[in-house]
Amino acid sequence: MAHESTALLSAADLNKSYGGVRAVREVSLDVGPGEVVGLIGPNGAGKTTLVDLLSGTQSADSGRITLRGRVISGAPSRRARAGLARTFQYPQLAPDLTVWENILLGRLHRRMGSAWGIMRTAVRSLLRPVHRDDADEVDRICAALHISEPQRLWSDLTLGEQRLIEVARALAQEPDVLLLDEPFAGSDAEGEAGIRRAVATVSGRGHGVVLVDHNVDIVASLVERVVLMDQGAVAFEGPPDECLRSPEMRQVYFGTATAQAQQQDAADSARPEASATDRVQEEGDR
Amino acid sequence: MRKLLNRYDLSPVLTLAAGLALLAWVGDNPFNQDLFALAATYSLLALGMYIPFVLAGSLSMAYTAYLAFGGYAVALVATRTDWPMVAGYFIGAAASAVLAVVLGFATRRLSSFFLVAVTLLFAIAFEGWLTSTPEFSGGAAGIGGVPRMELFGVEMTRELFIPVLLVLVWGIGVLVDRLRKGVFGMVLRASRDVPVAVEASGVAVPTLRLVALGTGAAVASLGGSVFVTFNQAINPETFILHVVFLALFMPLLGGQSTAWGAILGALIVVQFTFNLGSVGDSGTLLFTIAVLVVLLIAPRGILGYLGILWRRLVPLESEKERTHGA
Amino acid sequence: MSPQLFLSIIEVGCFFSLLALSFLLVLDGAAVFNFAIGPYAMAAGLATSWLVTRLGYPVLAAALAGLAIAVVLAAVTDVAVIRPIEARLGGAELPALVAVAATLFLIEQAAGTIFGRGDFPGQPLLGFEPIALGSAAMSAPQVTLLVATVAVFALVAWWLRASRTGRMLRAVGDNKHAAQLLGLPVSRIRGIAFILSGLIAGLAGLLFAHKSGVSFTSGLQWTLWGFLALVIGGTGSVWAPLIGGMLLAAVQILSPYYFGSAAADYAILLVALLFFALRPSGLITRKVRT
Ligand SMILES: Nc1ncnc2c1ncn2[C@@H]1O[C@H](COP(=O)(O)OP(=O)(O)OP(=O)(O)O)[C@@H](O)[C@H]1O
Ligand SMILES: [Mg+2]
Repeated sequence: MAHESTALLSAADLNKSYGGVRAVREVSLDVGPGEVVGLIGPNGAGKTTLVDLLSGTQSADSGRITLRGRVISGAPSRRARAGLARTFQYPQLAPDLTVWENILLGRLHRRMGSAWGIMRTAVRSLLRPVHRDDADEVDRICAALHISEPQRLWSDLTLGEQRLIEVARALAQEPDVLLLDEPFAGSDAEGEAGIRRAVATVSGRGHGVVLVDHNVDIVASLVERVVLMDQGAVAFEGPPDECLRSPEMRQVYFGTATAQAQQQDAADSARPEASATDRVQEEGDR
Repeated sequence: MRKLLNRYDLSPVLTLAAGLALLAWVGDNPFNQDLFALAATYSLLALGMYIPFVLAGSLSMAYTAYLAFGGYAVALVATRTDWPMVAGYFIGAAASAVLAVVLGFATRRLSSFFLVAVTLLFAIAFEGWLTSTPEFSGGAAGIGGVPRMELFGVEMTRELFIPVLLVLVWGIGVLVDRLRKGVFGMVLRASRDVPVAVEASGVAVPTLRLVALGTGAAVASLGGSVFVTFNQAINPETFILHVVFLALFMPLLGGQSTAWGAILGALIVVQFTFNLGSVGDSGTLLFTIAVLVVLLIAPRGILGYLGILWRRLVPLESEKERTHGA
Repeated sequence: MSPQLFLSIIEVGCFFSLLALSFLLVLDGAAVFNFAIGPYAMAAGLATSWLVTRLGYPVLAAALAGLAIAVVLAAVTDVAVIRPIEARLGGAELPALVAVAATLFLIEQAAGTIFGRGDFPGQPLLGFEPIALGSAAMSAPQVTLLVATVAVFALVAWWLRASRTGRMLRAVGDNKHAAQLLGLPVSRIRGIAFILSGLIAGLAGLLFAHKSGVSFTSGLQWTLWGFLALVIGGTGSVWAPLIGGMLLAAVQILSPYYFGSAAADYAILLVALLFFALRPSGLITRKVRT
């Protein structure tokens, strides 16, 4: 609560059910200026759903979201114009646009933010090419993130490259808060470096980042604060090293608290399916 | 030479040349002139369909109503008012755009099947309405005796109007193709394939689609307007409902990768449905089978495959040339 | 409202309900609105009339042939059109819609070419005296249609509840991928859904043809009516199409009665706009398990 006044993005008591599944329950989240918040949790914990609720891709059943103290609601495009940008767990790149054009999409909300703006852009695009400053900004981002050959098509890209392009598109929006859904999954070293640069750029400008990932090590190296989700709810919130050592972390990932760990291990060897499957799932996901 | 071929978009020049050749073929044969006017009407219809359907992935089926709007607007302006006939073109286009936006708005959150259903229902209801309002639209008999249009003080006889049609269709073809390649077309294509990404980038996809639907309707209504200008009459049966299916098939058959595919498709339809005396009634059937085959096994359409052939002959020199260099 | 008018609503409502049920089966089994359903009905009705009037077939044999045509068309739509498109383009909606629209138009044109482009009168399947109901009377075709509708709905409801295939149907349509993982015979179930839907549409077409005749272009209108009846009723239960069909029939029969001859088309358009804008999920929606 102390955060509320200073937080850039502040979500309070968000809830979302899919049919009978409570994907997000009573989640509150604050992101301060220049802060990078890690969001971790096992499969199905509700991380993507939380990002969806923040960005408007899904509408929350209840709850309140403010950005710079103003309530934001409605369609994702409205929230994007208010200052939220996101990437997707499954990259969403337009297949018949080049890499360069895909990144350019991030620039267009300032010109196509209304019906009138869309019509003006349509008429203008008959006569003239892309706005100079948009083109320059896209070139700058490509250079900064080391994106080479921007005239390639989607079909030429690896999963890691696709993620980097998505991050670049989100960066092009110049957001107040950047939501990244598992940006490192499938990335190679180069892609990872690019994404790290993007995160640094955004937080360096005093803007916020929410970073969803399974890989606790990567998250720990990038963030000051981790939010651990389990079964739709926040299980732990604090600095990464504290989180790693917390009983909640064990509880969530290994289905048991510290004190019972040995006992459980013994039980596991007798009845291996129980928690072993959890670990296998975890591994399989990386 | 190769550099030159890849540097500039040659399609306007090539299509204008093809158009002029067509003009030479038409000559002063009245039957050919009729075919040409119909082809021009269908081309505008197909170009109007192209913008929302191919670029934005929004399928409206009220296109016969848009044609009728354009046609009746011209007929009414010419016979009931002393405004210049061109006013009818603008009135028809504006009315069509408004209608397309209203129907699109009602179904903006639903799957595309709903837009198809509501636009077809509109087209049916509108045809019925035309027949049942003799005072306004001339009822089943329609409106005849539309005077010839005057353009810059010159009376547009059939012979004079043919080249005007060519320029109009070609010009709009150039514009629609530029639209496709420009920023607006780029965003439309993105919104068709990855709507969530476009939304998340701050551009409202429903609004984008409505603009595309309105623009397409306005272009198609011009088709109705030129048809009436040329034939000097219109009735509720002039644009029967099944024309909209043909319009849907034109860009598919011609090739979706450029706006010229829509025009090529329109020419093929005219050839199949009106000019093939030998196949008679089954021309439409043959054409539909061809479309289904294209849909199932040759999705690029004719121009798509010609394009591939062209790239074989004139390969790109570098990656940079692959798209317009920003 | 006169009893005769009421009977008309029942009759037209039965037709709409059957079409909507046909839509629902394919929607559940394959997650597609099959707009070619109207043309199946048209093909069955038109073929029956054509066989009887042109070739002198006995009515029942002609009707069986008509039904067979509808079933074959439905099966072919699934196997030769919708499946290949899905296989090539995944679950994308627009290509499926376009393919279905092309099929609709193809069946229409083929019927026009084969059977001719004129209007055909419907053939009464059974001939018996009209049944008097107070001041009104139900003609033989009306009785046949009503009895067939009740029977079809009861059978389909029973099939969905009691048979293994029927119970799996919805699971397949909801999530084809998950159903495949669970080892359900997705392909077979889907095929059965299409065949049943073709059969029901065909039956609807040949039993309704006597009302206003049938021509090769009837299919499009029938598709729209069936779709609208489905949207009004909702997809929450097998009985929803029955409710949607009856309501739509009431609108269609009563609006010209009160507002003049052209009003039916306007009223239906209005209903569509209202429903699409306000209640796209229909009157009966499936209860969500909580
Ligand atoms: N569109 C949807 N419809 C129905 N259920 C959904 C939907 N999206 C998510 N769920 C369910 O909500 C829960 C949370 O899912 P979510 O995708 O948010 O988890 P996650 O933490 O992102 O998992 P992962 O690490 O696998 O990405 C899961 O049980 C999931 O099955
Ligand atoms: Mg996720």
